[in-house]
Parts: sequence; C-alpha cells; structure tokens
Amino acid sequence: MIKKINFKIILLFVLTISCTPNTEYIEKLENPELFQDAMQNLTDVIVYDIFSPPVASRVYAYPSIAAYETMRFSKPKKFITLSGQVKELEQVKSPEDKNINFNLAALYAFNKVGRALIFSEDKMDSFDEIFYKKIKSFKTPRRVIKSSKKYGEFVADHVLEWAKYDNYNQTRTYPKYTIREPENFWKPTPPDYMDGIEPHWNKIRTLVIKSAGMFPSKPPIKFDLTKGSPFQNQLQQVYEIGENLSDEQIEMAKFWDCNPYVTHHRGHAMFATKKITPGGHWIGITSVATRKAKSNFSETINAYVNVSISLFDGFISCWDEKWKTLVVRPETLINKYYDEEWLPILQTPPFPEYTSGHSVISRAAAVTLTDLFGENFNFVDTTELKYGLPERSFNSFIHASEEAAISRLYGGIHYMMAIEEGVTQGNKVGVFIVDNLQTKSN
Amino acid sequence: MKKILILFFCLIFINCKNSNKTQIHDILFESLDSNYSGIDFINQLTYKPYLNIIEYLYYYNGGGVAVGDINNDGLEDIFFTANQEIDRLYLNMGNLQFRDITKQAKLDLFPSWSNGVTMDDVNNDGFIDIYVSKLPMEGLFKNQSTHNLLYINNGDLTFTESSSDYGLDFLGFSTQSTFFDYDRDGDLDMYLMNHATHSVRSYGTTKKRKEKDSISGDRFYENLLDEGKNKFIEVTDKSGILSSPLGYGLALTTTDINDDGWLDIYVGNDFHENDYLYINNGDKTFTESFKKYFKHSSRFTMGVDVADLNEDGKLDIFTTDMMPFDSKIALKSGGEDTDKLTKIKSDYGFEPQYSRNHFHLKKPYGDYAEIGLLTKTYATDWSWSVLLQDYDNDGNNDIFISNGIAKRPNDLDYINYLSTSNYSSFVLTKQNEMKEELINQMPELKIPNILFKNKGMLDFGNIKESFFGDPSYSNGSAYSDLDNDGDLDLIVNNINSIASILENKTSKENKSLTIELKNKKAIKGSRVTVFKSNNKVDVKEAITTRGFQSSTTHRLHFGLGKSIVDSISVRWADGKTQIVNGPFKEKIQIIYNSGKFKEESIDVKNNFSLSVLPFKHEEDIYLDYEREKLIPELLSSEGPAFLLADFNNDKMLDIFIGGARYRPSQILIATKLGYELADINDFRIDQKYEDVSAATFDADNDGDMDIYVVSGGNDYKENDELMMDRIYINDGNANFSRLSVALPSTNGSVVVSHDIDDDGYDDLFVGSRSIPGGYGLSPYSFIIKNTRDGNFEPIVQSRLGMVTDAKWGNIDMDPEFELIVVGDWTPIIVIDENEDGKFVASKLKGGENYYGLWNTIELADLNDDGKSDILVGNTGKNFKWQPTIESPVYLYVDDFDENEQSDPIIFYDFFGTYRPFNTKDNLGSQMPMIKKRFNKYKDFSKVETIENLTGKKEKNILEIKKLTELKSMLFINKGEDFDPTPLPFEAQWSSIQDFFWDKETEEIFYVGNSEEFVTELGAQSANPGGIIEFDNQAIHKEFLPLPINLNLRRVIKLNNDNMLLIANNDYIYILKRIND
Repeated sequence: MIKKINFKIILLFVLTISCTPNTEYIEKLENPELFQDAMQNLTDVIVYDIFSPPVASRVYAYPSIAAYETMRFSKPKKFITLSGQVKELEQVKSPEDKNINFNLAALYAFNKVGRALIFSEDKMDSFDEIFYKKIKSFKTPRRVIKSSKKYGEFVADHVLEWAKYDNYNQTRTYPKYTIREPENFWKPTPPDYMDGIEPHWNKIRTLVIKSAGMFPSKPPIKFDLTKGSPFQNQLQQVYEIGENLSDEQIEMAKFWDCNPYVTHHRGHAMFATKKITPGGHWIGITSVATRKAKSNFSETINAYVNVSISLFDGFISCWDEKWKTLVVRPETLINKYYDEEWLPILQTPPFPEYTSGHSVISRAAAVTLTDLFGENFNFVDTTELKYGLPERSFNSFIHASEEAAISRLYGGIHYMMAIEEGVTQGNKVGVFIVDNLQTKSN
Repeated sequence: MKKILILFFCLIFINCKNSNKTQIHDILFESLDSNYSGIDFINQLTYKPYLNIIEYLYYYNGGGVAVGDINNDGLEDIFFTANQEIDRLYLNMGNLQFRDITKQAKLDLFPSWSNGVTMDDVNNDGFIDIYVSKLPMEGLFKNQSTHNLLYINNGDLTFTESSSDYGLDFLGFSTQSTFFDYDRDGDLDMYLMNHATHSVRSYGTTKKRKEKDSISGDRFYENLLDEGKNKFIEVTDKSGILSSPLGYGLALTTTDINDDGWLDIYVGNDFHENDYLYINNGDKTFTESFKKYFKHSSRFTMGVDVADLNEDGKLDIFTTDMMPFDSKIALKSGGEDTDKLTKIKSDYGFEPQYSRNHFHLKKPYGDYAEIGLLTKTYATDWSWSVLLQDYDNDGNNDIFISNGIAKRPNDLDYINYLSTSNYSSFVLTKQNEMKEELINQMPELKIPNILFKNKGMLDFGNIKESFFGDPSYSNGSAYSDLDNDGDLDLIVNNINSIASILENKTSKENKSLTIELKNKKAIKGSRVTVFKSNNKVDVKEAITTRGFQSSTTHRLHFGLGKSIVDSISVRWADGKTQIVNGPFKEKIQIIYNSGKFKEESIDVKNNFSLSVLPFKHEEDIYLDYEREKLIPELLSSEGPAFLLADFNNDKMLDIFIGGARYRPSQILIATKLGYELADINDFRIDQKYEDVSAATFDADNDGDMDIYVVSGGNDYKENDELMMDRIYINDGNANFSRLSVALPSTNGSVVVSHDIDDDGYDDLFVGSRSIPGGYGLSPYSFIIKNTRDGNFEPIVQSRLGMVTDAKWGNIDMDPEFELIVVGDWTPIIVIDENEDGKFVASKLKGGENYYGLWNTIELADLNDDGKSDILVGNTGKNFKWQPTIESPVYLYVDDFDENEQSDPIIFYDFFGTYRPFNTKDNLGSQMPMIKKRFNKYKDFSKVETIENLTGKKEKNILEIKKLTELKSMLFINKGEDFDPTPLPFEAQWSSIQDFFWDKETEEIFYVGNSEEFVTELGAQSANPGGIIEFDNQAIHKEFLPLPINLNLRRVIKLNNDNMLLIANNDYIYILKRIND
C-alpha cells in the first residue's frame, strides 16, 4: 500500500516538474537593457551612415513606434495605441498567437524597421547575430522566438507601410535650393559649401502636430548691417563672443555640437568626423534617464517613443521655419564684412539659420522628458563620451535644453534671435504633444 | 684564365647596364641599372610626427631634377632635389655613367626640404649655376636656416653657396624658380614661384589677390649684373606680379604667348585659384591676363610645358591635373566640382576650371582651342611633370607625363568611412597618435608613367597603349641627350625608389638636329624655328624650367623623321631675328651674328573683321540641374530665337530677336541709318514667355510675314499657360498683334513652315525639346495645319524624341517635300506622306545607325547635282563621351525607385570600361535606394551595367535611348539613299549649332560652342566657328577670328559681304569679309 502511494506521489512529482513551463527566459526578456542595446545599435548605424539631423529623427521615430505598438499588447490597458493619435496610423491587427512574448516581438519589430531605414545592412546583420545568440542563451523556447519574430515583423511591416506615405520618397525628387543673391539670404558655407539639407522637409507628414507650420515663429529681425541696428547688434554679438570665450563656454559649444559630419581639410587630404545628431543626443539622454529612473522594459520603450515623436515633429516645425525665412548664417556675413579669417568654433551646418535646430528640438524633447520623469530630474549626461567629449551634469531636462540652446551662440553658428525663438517654438511643439499624445493610461 | 675572367666580367658589366625596357610603338627606352650608371639617388620619405601629409599638404609632391653641363665638357650632368634627404649632384663621365660629386662640389650636406631646382648662368661667367627652392624649417633644425640656395659655379666642379650675397636667400614656401631676361639687358632675372600652405577653407573672394604674403606669395627679382653688380633686387610690386596668399603655385614655365618677342610667364596654381598668365609688357612690367587667352584651365595644375604639337609652327600648352583613367578609381575619388560649387566659385570671381589635363592648341589667329578631351590626353591620374619633346625623332613632339601619388587622400571611402568616429579624438587631444594611423589607412597605388606618342594630326593613341615603365610614384623629371647620340633620354625623380635614368634606344632611322645657341648675352627665351624639307615647321624656345619642379637641357632638340632641315630662323632674346641656311650636321651651334639679321614680319592675314550690334540677348538664370540632379545638359538656355526678314515691305531686312523669360521679344526695323527698335505692345505683354525659336510665315495669306514664336523652358510643366506658343499677325507695316488661338504648350524647340497641302496657306511643324522634369522622355511634336480661318489644328502629334531642329525639303525622287527632324538621342528622322495621305516617320536611308545629340540640320545641294544633301551639327569629338556604333552611350529612363519622378541614368565607355555617368552622391540624392545598394564607393565603382546599378533588367526599363555618333556629319544625297561622311577634323573640336551654305563661294560656314553641359562634361569652348570648303569633298578652310567667350547659335547671311552671328547671352555680331 505505501509503495503504491509513494509511486503515485513520485509520478505526480515528476509530472509536475516536467510540466512546469520554463519561465526563466521571461524574466530575462524583461531586462530593459535589451532595448537599450537595440537603440544604441541603431544610433551607431545612423552615425556610420551619416544621416542628416531631420532624416535621423525619422530613423529614430518609426522603429520606436513599431516597438511600442508591439510591446503594448503585453499590457494593452496600460499602454494606449498610437493609432488615432499619430496621423493616419491604423490599428495593427491584434495578435492571436499565444506563444508571443511581446518584449521579444517588440525588439524584432524595432530591428526590422530600423534595418529598412538605414543603409549599412551589414552592420544590422552583425547586431542581429549577437541578439539571436543572446536570446538563445536565455533558453527562450523556439516556438516563442518564432511567434514573437513573426508578430514583431508583422507590426514592423504595418508601420513601414504607413511610413511609406509620409512623403519622404517624394521629397527626394524635389528641387534643390537655388541660391539667391541678396545678402540676407542663406548661402552655402565653408569649407565644403554643401547643398542646403532637406529644403522640403516641411512636406513630411507630421505625427502629432497638425501641420509643419502649426507653430510659426515670429519673423526674424530685419536684415540691416548698419552699425547699431538690432540685426547688426546680434551679428556683432556672435562675432565678439567668438573672440572671448571662456573655457566653460567652449566646452558647452563642443558638447552640443552634434554635427553628424564635420570635415577637416589638410591640403588634398580630407577627413570626416562623425557624431550623433541633435536628436541622437536627446535619445542618448533618454537612455540616461530611463536607466536612472530604473524604468522597466515597457516604460523604457514608452519613454523612447514619446521622445522620438517629439523630435520628429520638432524637426519638421523647425525646418519649415528655416526654409521659409532663409536667414544667412553669421559666418557668411562676418567673413565678408568683418574678418575673412574669423572661424566659428563649430563647423556651420549646411542649412539656413532661423530658427536654431538644437534650440527647438532640445526644448521639445525636454518638455516630453519632463512629463515622463518630472521637473527636477537631475542627471549626468554621458552621451558624448563615445565621441571623445566629456560628460556634463544637469539639474533638469529643461536646464540641459537651455544649455543646448545658448551653446549655439558660443559655437558661432547662430544669432540670439534664432535661439530664443527656437526655444519658444520647441516649447510649443513639446507642450502640444504632451497634451495631445497619451501613451500611458492613468 | 685571366682572359676568360676579364671577358666574363666584361659580359656581366655590359649585361648589367640596363634593367627594364619600355616600348611605346617605336619609342624604346631602357632603364639603367644603378650599379652601372652610378646613380643611386632615392627621394626617401620618412614619417615624422611634425612632417607628414597632415602637417604639410605637399608632403607627397616629390622632388625635382635639373640637367645641365656644369663643367662645359659637352656632357650634361644631373642634380636631384630630395625632400628629407640630401640633394645630390652627379657628374656625367660619359657612356651614361655618373659620379656623385655632392661632397666634392661643396654642396649643402644638411638634409632639409628641397622642392624645385633650376640651372642657369646667373653671373654670365660661362658656367651654369644652380638655384634650389626650399621650405622654411627653422624651428625643426635647431636654428639652421633653410632658405633657398644659390650655388655659384666656380668653374672647377665646386660651387659656392651665395644666395645671401645675391639677395636670393628667400625663406618661405618655394616651389620652383625660373630665370630669364625680362628687360633685355643681357642678364637673367628670376621669377620665384611659392605656394600657400593653409588648407582651402573658404573661397573668400579673389580680392585676396591684391594682398602680399611674406612666405607664400610669388616674387620677382631683377638681376643687376648689367650694372656691374652680382646682385638681385626684389621688384615684385613694381613689375605687377601677384604675391598673394591665394596662390598654390606648382607649375612654372616661360613662353612668348603673344609672339611679341618678350617672354611671358605661366604659373599653374593648385586648388581653386586660377592659373596666372603674366604677359610681359616689355617695360619691366607684367599684366596678368589669363582670361584673355583661355576660357578655362586645369583645376589642380601641377605641371606645364610648351611645344608645337601639330607641326603648324605655333606653340601649344599642356598642363597636368589628376583625373584618373581607371573608372574604378574615378568613381570612388572626389572628382569634378558639383554644378552648385562651380557657380559659387564663379560668383566669387574665379574663372572656370576642370579637374583634368588641359591641352591648349594655338590656332592661326592666336587664340587657343582646348582639346584634351578630343585627344584623350585629359586623364593620366595624379600627374606632375609633362615634357613635350620628340622622343622618337619622327618629327612630331610626344607627351611624357610622370604620375602617381604615394597615398591617395581623396578616396571617398577613406574620407567617409575609414577615418571614422574615433577620429573625434583627433580634433581634441590625441593628434599625434591618430595622425600616423590615419595616414596608414590611406589607400596606396603605384601607377606607370605615361608617354603619348604623337602619330601626327593630333592623334596621340589611347592611354592603354601609352603606359611607360613600371608602376611608381614619379614626380620631377627632365630630358637631355645624356649620351650625345642624337635622341633624348629621360631622368625621373621617384618617391621611395631609385631615380630612373631612361636611355633612349629608339632606332636611329629617324634623324634629329641638336642646336646650341651661343651669345655673350643671355639666350634664354630665344625662339628657334626649323623649316623642314617636308614643308612642315617646328618651333622651340630656349627655356629650361618646365614640367614640374625641374629644368631641362639648354640644347634645343628637333626630331626630323625622314626630312632634312632647309633653314633655321632664330629670334634672339633681344628680338633680333637671324636666318641660317642649311644643310646642317646633326649637332650645330648657332652664334649670335648681327650680320645675318633679317626683319621678321609677322603677317597675320585677317580675312574678316568683326563688329558688334548693340543688342544683347540676356539669358535668364534657371539651373535645371537643381531640379533634375542627373541631367547632363541644361535645357533652358536654348535661345535666342532669331529671324531676318522684311517685315514692313521696304526691301530692307529687319530683325526679330526672341527674349528669354521676362525679357520681351524685340523687332529691329532696318533703316538707312541702322536699326531701330520697334515698339510692339503685345511683345511687352508676352515677355513672361521664354522664346526658344521662331519662324516667319504668311499665316493669313495677305502677302506679309507673320511670326510664329515657340515658347519653351524647362522651368514649368507641360500645358502650363507659360509654355504656350504664340502667333503674331503682321499688318503689313511691322505692327504685330497676337492671334488668339490655342497652340501647343510644350517645351518647344523649333518651328518650320511649309504649305503641306498646297492650299496657299503655310502650315507648320513644331518640334518639342523635352518634358520638363523628365529629361530623356519624348514630348509630343506636332504637324499643324493652317485651316485658313485663323485656326491652326494639329493633324499629327507624335513622340519623335527630344527635337532640336527640323527642315522641310525635298530629299527624294518625288516632287513633294519631306520633313527631316533631329534631336538629342535621336536618329535622323524623315517624315513623309504616304499614298494614303498619312504621315510616316522613318530613319534616313543610309544614316539609320546615326544617333547623336544633334543641334542643327541644314539642307544644301553641295555637289550641285540637283539633290539636297544634309548637313547635321552635332556635339563634336572634343567631348568626354566618344560613342561609336559598337560602344554607344546609353540613356535609361524610368522611375527606378517609384517615387513619381523619372530618373535618367546614363552609362558610357570610359577608357574601355562602361561606367555610370553620375557620381554615387548624385544618384543617391535622387534615388535613396542607391545609397542602400551601394553603401561603399568601392562597391559602386564596380558598377558597369544598369542592372548592376538598379536591379532592373533592361527589358523592363521604360525607355532606352542611345548615342552612336557625336561627330557633325554630312550626308550626300545619292538619290536612293545617303552617303555619310564626318565633317573635317577641325569642325569636330566643338559643338556645331548652325550652318550657312554659301553657294557662290562653295563654302559652308559653321558656328558653335556652348555652355549647356554640366560641369562633369564641361563647356564646349574650343571653336566658335569656321569655314569648310566643299568641292567634291569637304575640307576645312579656316577658323573665323572670333572672341573666345562666344557661344554662337546662328549664322545668317545679311548681304554679300556680311554675316550675322547670333550668340547666346551676348550681343549680335557682324562678320565682314575683307580679303578674298
């Protein structure tokens, strides 16, 4: 009798053990660092492929959106779909497969959209290989991988199909900017006199703001080189500040340079230094913030998607203003009228001056991050270490964005008006998005 | 035993003399083994943290060579300059063996950076001295000054460094010097060419030319020897020589450009600064006049030489640049400027430059035709020295070019991807460590030098048959007859390998003449003209500084082929001309002998005179390439439309000139006192149209000439109101009013009238040029019937192609007229009415395979056989694209990336390999998929087909067009079909835009030149016009004396002696014949 019972108990025990599903991998797939890695990889490829600031913002946004729309199915009541909130995005078909791990699926979605938008696919290949090995090492069951991949890529395709209609392809065919003679109009700047970047970026479909021109800035100060005029005063300020910068100011200028392609000429030799774009810098700050706040996997994606949407619309709004007002860069006027040898600390980027890109999008991103993490969230910004620059500490996101804005004056590439109005513009964009986009339900 | 040993050693000795042979056709050189020659000089470069390509932009430019007889023993000796080693002097011992006498000669034994070197007799003591140009390196060598050096020859194989005594101890960035007598006072003065070292950052403006730079600006020194002093004084400012920080002077020579007996100076500048041409005014001053003589120059000019390359007795000029001839290298290197950048530089005041070798051929009237593309000598990779001499003595001067650069800094993968984000540290801190690594990553490539053999008639063969010697990095070079055997040997200074001494072993079948000029006073700049028994002429100047950083023998060498020399004319440096009659031995001396002087009469027969009518066509500025990034030509500078007709029936020919956009059309009424501008209201109202073409016709059959004006332009879409053609009805008194009627609204190009149905009312053919925004696609062209009630109905519309011109005429055996149409990428199309009254298009019989970029068509009965022959003007042979029926240029049109804009993609044969016409950057900016398909420039550089490039198979491509012939052609009407003949050689040097056939004189006038191609193809500037004689065959008679900047569109006979020349964006010219 006892033997029989023992046997049954043993059998039950054995069955219990063998039927217990392997759940270790689930915990491992909750690690937000998986997403941080994917985002870092995307940033690395963006830098390598030399995307301009506005186009880079597109490469950040769509993969983040795909990741978000996938991830949210793990907590559909907590995370609201973006469809209905960002333009023309339709609801993706709900998943039916029970084997899907939505974190894993979100990573697949992110990588697929990212791959479609960059050029160096071989770099994505390397990352995918490492990623796959990692998931296997978690002992993720094969069916889970298969189902998650399938669904993630399904969402990715859905997002890519939607992205196709944002006019990016069409704007490739639009005419380049033709230089206008009068002094006040933007001209290409040395050393490479590159064509102006993305003169038609205001035709890209916005995500949340209603149109590119929804938040126009007040008109730039009237062009007037007479000594003492408001415009000339601002020009003079750029010129003089360049001559008397403190070390701190120089450091600030370089920290916020974020010029993805700076050329250095030595005779016939030329080298390019590559870095993250302004948008990339705020994506980097997002990585710092989410880690400091110990955000979990979902909240990490949530943060990135909100910030990248803010950046996306911010660039469209800013570029609309730039190519409308076509204000000439300080360097052009200073070299022509004051001092042929004067060099700004930073290489003047190849697009018109007003409003300042960094001022607009930094503020927009900061407003979004403040909404996510709070007003007095201090942090150490380590984003630029990889590019040979030191780290800097900030009391808040707004503080960082203000430094980013003023640094453009120190850098010698902007007038004060472009900075002030840029911040105002960025604030409007950020606030509008915070008010009109809700991803997390309360 | 001993004998055997001696014999053995002798054999080894002889066999070890020469190592490598190089044969180019009949030209044979053998490289001497250094063990035999005794020349073991190597310009060895050694990386130093303070001295490398990043620190000094000309680190890889190499050294120089000077050749001269330092001890007057009849054997020419050699001086090599080194960059980081000691300069060396080798004494010629005979039999091509040399001894290093650097130490013995008391030369500087301190290795500091030397660039160029010249040998000349500075103090007129009968012994040549040596001047070395150097870099300032004081900080590096413990206060050892490294100023330029002047070694005065003591006459005993020793030299005394005397630069300070002579005032020539300039300390700065010197490239090369040249000595010549600028003021005819009998002593040699000196031009010192220096270079800037700052990287090109801003193009600033050309204002900087007026500034003086103490270490980089050029200098001019006057020799005071004639006053009894062994000294030079600096006279840079006084003489008008620019001394600015803008100049990157690398190429230097002197020549008498304007044939006035005074030597002028050519300075070739690297980068965006234009080359300088200093015309000697004869009064101790120079005037910089580059743009007076040349339309454009090489961009990165590194070497220059002057010689007669077509046996016409006129001196031609060749400059070197750095264009690769291997498409795989070309497509991954920085190349031509973008069109945007071209415009920016032009706005800053720089004259046009192209990144390719330039071959300026002097024409009979003294202007130059740049024919580098025509002769296919424009791409020899990174080139330094050019030495134009007759190396095989066949009577034609050949082209030797030394090339190669130790590290290639302009590889685009290197710039964009290899020097990666880690480089950020470079700018901030770790400069020294990063430098070496960055340099190590630069690609390397040795390439062989080039020797283009001149086969006569400007045929220099092709690059593949011209590779000369082993791959190397060769820089300064010089020639001399080192072994006095009647042919020229070559000396080449190489980086990191032994200098090459190349013995000329070409067969002795061809004869030569070597001349030494002797004069107590300076002979530099004397010009020697040799008259040969075959009625050909050769001319050389006694100058030595030429090529790159080098100077050559003083002796003048003339190859004779199988001819002998009848007489020699020497125009000495003081302007006096001396004639010496033959026969001559192979080596002669000509001594200054006033007894043999003769007046030199330079008679330039001018058969024509040119005057200007003060009415200017002004083109509007629309830059097609900003909208369509891949197009090869502008389609919006077609005008002006021009008509010569009697509008007011007063028996005098009036003029109609169309206006560009926002400029009104104009009618000039001819009166006894000249032309008067008519006031026509409707023209003012209609100035918003761009007039491309016009024709007179009697629209209303009332006996006066009405006008049809074709509207065009590439800036508005088809069917836009601003593209509509217009008809203006004449009231008989030249008062025109616009007829209200619907007409084609395409980007039109031509209108020609003809009464098709013989109803007394003129009908029309209107040809269209393009679909705006869709280069390559064929727009509709129309045959329009005049319905006699003020209406005009298109009865035929057909996509014939990108039409440029058309003519109605009778070219077959039936009495009816046909319509012949030509265009870009089209064959010659004949439109004829068949029995059913339908218009049918076919290709010209006998010319079916001729697809060109045709500009103009003219019908003329040239051989007076009652049948119309056809003249068609094309782009010409002086062009990067040189298609043949076997290897055409292809145009593929499709929306390859499906973004609603058509992409015109062109492939052409580039020195034997097909390659895309556009750069990867250009293609990628229009089609982002290219960036994805070809992330690296290296991968892109391997593309040879459209399928490689886009993934689309040819059979699926919307439209494929081609070019098989770019020569302007003549088709002789044989009745059943036509016989094709290319027009004469000279007429192919530029594009032909119009013809006029003068029946009485049996002459064909042709005009052309244009600036409608993008920078990658370049301006067509070599020939604004000329005359072809036709007497059974077409022979080029003469060039017309026209300004170099003229782009002519029409040539029209005004009256017996006068022709009207209509130019684009310029005035109207009248060409008058003054001789018979």
